[in-house]
Amino acid sequence: MLKNHLKIAWRSLKKKRLYTVINILGLFAGISFTLLIAAFVWQELQGNKNLKNSDSQYMLTSQWKDPNMGVDFATIGPLAERLKEQYPNLVADYYRWDGITSIVSEGDKNFKEGIQLGDESFLSMYGFKLLHGDESTAFKNPFSVVIKPEKAMKFFGKTDVVGKTIMIQNFGGDSKAFTITGVLEKTPENSVTPIINKQSSGLFIAKNSAEYFNRADFHDWNLPIFACYVELQPGINASQLELPLKRLIEDHTSESIQSNLKVIPVKLTDYYLNRNNSSLKKILYALSFVGIFIILMALVNFINIAIGHSVSRVKEIGVRKVLGSNRKQLIFQFLSESIILVAVATILACLAYPFFSKVFVELVGKEIMSLSQFPTYFLLIPLLFILIIGILAGFYPAFVLSSFKSIHALKGKFKIGAKGVYLQKSLLCFQYVTALVVLIVALLVTQQLDSFFGKNLGYDKEYIVTAAVPRDWTANGVQKMLTLRNELSEVSSVSSVSLSYEIPNGNNGFQLAVNKANENPEEFYASQSLVVDDAYFDTYGIPLLKGSYLKPGEQNPDYALINEKALHTYGFSTADEAIGQKLKVDNAEYMLTIKGVIGDFHFESMQQPIKPQLFFSVSALHNYRYLSFKLKPGDIAQSLTEIEQKWKQLLPNAPFDYEFIDDTLARLYESELQLKKATYTASLLSLIVALLGIFGMVSLTVNRRFKEVGIRKVLGASVTNISILFVKDFLIILAISVLIACPIAYLIINQWLDNYSYRIAIGFNPFLIGIVLVGSITILLVVLQTLKTAITNPVNSLRSE
Amino acid sequence: MSNTILKLSQATREVNSGSNKIALLDNLNMEVKEGEFISLMGPSGSGKSTLLNCIGMLDNFTDGGYVFLGEPVHSMKERNRSKLYKEYIGFVFQAYHLIDELNVWENIETPLLYKNIKSSERKALVADMLDRFNIVGKKDLFPIQLSGGQQQLVGIARALIGSPKLILADEPTGNLNSKQSTEIMELFSELNKQGVTIIQATHSEKNASYGSRIINLLDGKIVSE
Repeated sequence: MLKNHLKIAWRSLKKKRLYTVINILGLFAGISFTLLIAAFVWQELQGNKNLKNSDSQYMLTSQWKDPNMGVDFATIGPLAERLKEQYPNLVADYYRWDGITSIVSEGDKNFKEGIQLGDESFLSMYGFKLLHGDESTAFKNPFSVVIKPEKAMKFFGKTDVVGKTIMIQNFGGDSKAFTITGVLEKTPENSVTPIINKQSSGLFIAKNSAEYFNRADFHDWNLPIFACYVELQPGINASQLELPLKRLIEDHTSESIQSNLKVIPVKLTDYYLNRNNSSLKKILYALSFVGIFIILMALVNFINIAIGHSVSRVKEIGVRKVLGSNRKQLIFQFLSESIILVAVATILACLAYPFFSKVFVELVGKEIMSLSQFPTYFLLIPLLFILIIGILAGFYPAFVLSSFKSIHALKGKFKIGAKGVYLQKSLLCFQYVTALVVLIVALLVTQQLDSFFGKNLGYDKEYIVTAAVPRDWTANGVQKMLTLRNELSEVSSVSSVSLSYEIPNGNNGFQLAVNKANENPEEFYASQSLVVDDAYFDTYGIPLLKGSYLKPGEQNPDYALINEKALHTYGFSTADEAIGQKLKVDNAEYMLTIKGVIGDFHFESMQQPIKPQLFFSVSALHNYRYLSFKLKPGDIAQSLTEIEQKWKQLLPNAPFDYEFIDDTLARLYESELQLKKATYTASLLSLIVALLGIFGMVSLTVNRRFKEVGIRKVLGASVTNISILFVKDFLIILAISVLIACPIAYLIINQWLDNYSYRIAIGFNPFLIGIVLVGSITILLVVLQTLKTAITNPVNSLRSE
Repeated sequence: MSNTILKLSQATREVNSGSNKIALLDNLNMEVKEGEFISLMGPSGSGKSTLLNCIGMLDNFTDGGYVFLGEPVHSMKERNRSKLYKEYIGFVFQAYHLIDELNVWENIETPLLYKNIKSSERKALVADMLDRFNIVGKKDLFPIQLSGGQQQLVGIARALIGSPKLILADEPTGNLNSKQSTEIMELFSELNKQGVTIIQATHSEKNASYGSRIINLLDGKIVSE
C-alpha cells in the first residue's frame, strides 16, 4: 500500500513537472534559509554555555546615570578583587582585564594587536585549554604571554611555538621580549576572550607584567575601564551581591561615581544574548521571523498549486473511491505526495548548506557551524522538518480533495468552489504583502544607511586615511611625533597630516563635566574631550565658526575649542559671546578658556545625538593614537605607497596599518550593514518564492481557462484583450496587498528609525519603487504565459473538449 | 430458481432544483436475480446512470427500499455500504476512468490494495486476469498508450479482479467504434455465461440485445420490461 502511494505520488509529481519544480524550488529556498538561520540561532544560544561552571559565571556591568561617564561592559577594577576577599562564601573567583592595543614584532614583521592585560585566573576560571604549554604555569613569570592559535599561525606559521619570544611595545616607546608560554585551543563562543566581536584580543598577558605597560592601575577605585568577571559559589545567586557591591562602592569611590554608578552582575549566558541593547537577540528574532515567513510563502505556493490542480486530481480521486478507497487512505496518499516533495527539497537544502553557509557568513559576520558539528540528535531535525512541513503543505489538498463525492468527481461536475478561490487569492495576497513589506523595508534601510555615509557627516571623509602610531606619551614623544607628522606632510601626494587621539569612530578618550563659569554651580554638562593637533580641523574639513584654531604646539592644557552643540548646551547665545570665556570643570580647581568654536560633526554613530565636545591640544595633554592623512585627489594606491615608503623610513618598528574613513564608518555601522544585507537577502528570497508562486498560479489559471479563451477569441477578442483579462485578476490582488503592506512597512521602518538620532524622512519613493517592481514583474509573468494561449487558434482549444 | 441479488421497492431519487423537487427516479420496483444480464435503455436523462449509481451505492435513493444480497442498503451506514460494494460490485465506465499515473498492471491491482490482499496473492490474481484478457504484453503500458478498446478491456479487468457478484456498466461501449464494441459486448456475454450478473446502461439496440432482459426507462419510470 505504502509502496503504491509512494509510486503514484512520484509519478504524479513527475507528470506535472513544472509545478513540481516550482514547489521544490520554493521549498528549497525556504528550507535552506531556515536551516541556516536555525544553525545560527542555535549556535548563538550556545554562547558562553561552554565555559566551565557557566551557570555561576557573571560579569559586572555598569549602569551610569550619565551615559558619558563610561561603557556598560567595563567597571571599577578593585571591585571584583574585594568581593572575593571580603565575601569568599559568595564569590569563588574573579577575572579582570584591561584591553590595550600595541605593536607586536616577530623578527622584522610588525603587527598591531589587541592584548588583554588581566588576572592570572584567566585559564583556570573558565577552563580554557592550551593546545601547547602548561595551564598551571603559563602566567607564573612576568613577561609571559598566552596567544590564540590564529595569532601563532600569523606570527610563526605554526601553532607549536611555546618557548619562542615576541617583542611587544609599551606606551613609553620601549619594546621588550615576551616568552610565549601557551597557545590556546580554539575557544568556544564566549564573552571573555572577545567581549564584543569587534574588539577581539589575541594575546593574553598577566598583570604581573602590568608595570611595564604602565597602564591603568588595577587598584584604582575611580577608573571604570576594566572588564570584570566573577564566578559565584555554587548555589549563590546574583541578587546576593547587590548589598556587598553597594557597600564597596560607597566605601571607596568618589562622590560623582557613587551618585552615577550602579554595578549589576549579569550572568554571562544572558549577557551574550542581551549585550548591545539586546541587538543579538533582536537579530535572532528578526531572522527567525523572516525564516518562518519564507517557509510559509513556500507552503502557500504548494497549497495554491494544489488547489489549482484539484480539477485534474478529482477524477483520480473519484476512481479510487469507486474502487474502494476510503477517505483515510486518500488523505494518506496526498500527504505522502507532499512529504516526498518536502523531503526532496530538504535533502537538496542539506546538500547546499555548505555553499550557502559561506554566503550567510557575510550576513551575520560570523562563521556558521557545519552540519556535522551539530550533535547527532540534530539529525532528527531535518526529519521532523520533512514531516511537519510535509503535513502542513499537504493538509489542505489532502482533506479537501478527499472529501469530494465520487460521482460528482467522475462526472467532471467538480469546480473549484468559491471558498477555494478565495483561499487561493488570500494566500496570494499574503505572499504579495510579505514580498512588498520586505522589499520596501530593504529600500528604506538602504536609504538610511546611505545617509550615514553621505554628505551630512559634518566633515569631509573623502581621501582621508588613518593609521595608528606607536605610543610614547611624553612631551618628548609628542614632539617627535609632530616632527614626524611634518615630514610626512611633505610627501607630494599628501595635502595635510594630523596627529590626534580620536578619529571619528566613536572611540573617545575621556569625558569632562563642565559649565559656564560663575553660573549655575550645580549643573555640569558631560562633554566628550578630544585631543587633537593644530592640523586636525583642516585635515577633516571641519569649519571654524569663530575664534581661532589651536596654535601649533599649544602647550596650555586649559585652552579648548568647543563645538556648536557645546556652545548651546553651556548656554552661550552666540559664538562671539563664547570666545575667551571660562569654563569650570567639575571636581577640579582649574578653568578652561574657550579659544574657538567649530562646527558640529558626527563623531559617533548616528544612533547617538551629537554631544558637547571639547578639543585640547595634543602638545599639552600628550595623548595620541592616530595620524590622519588627507590625500590629494589622484592615484590613491600610488599615494599610499609613497606614504608607506616614508613611514618605513621614519618608523621602522611600526606597521603602516592604514584604514580609509569609509572602512572606519563601515565598522561603526557594522550591524546596520549586516541588516542591510539581511534585508536584501530576505527580499530576494521572498521575491523569488512569491514570483514562483505567481508563475504557478498564472499557468494554472491559463490552463483552466483555455477553453474560455478559445470562445472569447471566436467572439472577437484580441490578444491584448485576453492578456488584460488575466493581468486584471492579479493586479486587483496586488492592489489589495499594497493597501495592507504599506502601513505595515511604514510601522516597521518607523520603529527601526526611532533607534537613530538622525534619521531620514520616510518618503514615497521606496514604496513606489517596491510596488512598481513587484507589479511589473507580475505583469510580465502573466503576459508571457497568456500570450501562448492567446495566440493559439481557437479551433484547437475548443476541439479538446 | 436462482437467488435474488437485489430488490428495489418504491425506490425514488429526488433532487432539488431551485425550489422544485425533481424526481430523477420515480417509485421504481425491480428485482435482479443472480446470473441475469440486464440492459437498461432509454433516452438521455431518463435516469439510467442515476439508477446504476444508486444501485452501485455511489449515490443513494432518497426514498424507498433497496435490498442487496438480503441486506437493507437503505438503512445502512456509509461505512458498511462501502464495505458491501467494495466486496460485491465492480464498475465499468463509458470513459474507462483508468488512473493515468498507473500502468495496466497497477490499475488492475488497485482494488486489491484497498481490500488489503497480500502482495503474493495480488500478483497471482493480476497475472491470471492479464492472461485471461490476453493483455499480458501490455501490462507495463500506461492508459495513454492504449486504444479505447484496450483501455476498456483493462477497465473491465479491473472491475472483475475482486471477483464481484455484480458488474455495473454505464455505456461501456459509448466511446468505442463498432468493432471494439462488438468485442467488448462478446466479452460481457462470455462473463455472463461464467455466472457474473451484469447490469448495463446503453443507447444501442444491438448492445441491449446481448442482455437477457431489457428494461426501458423514461423520465425516471420503468415503462416496459
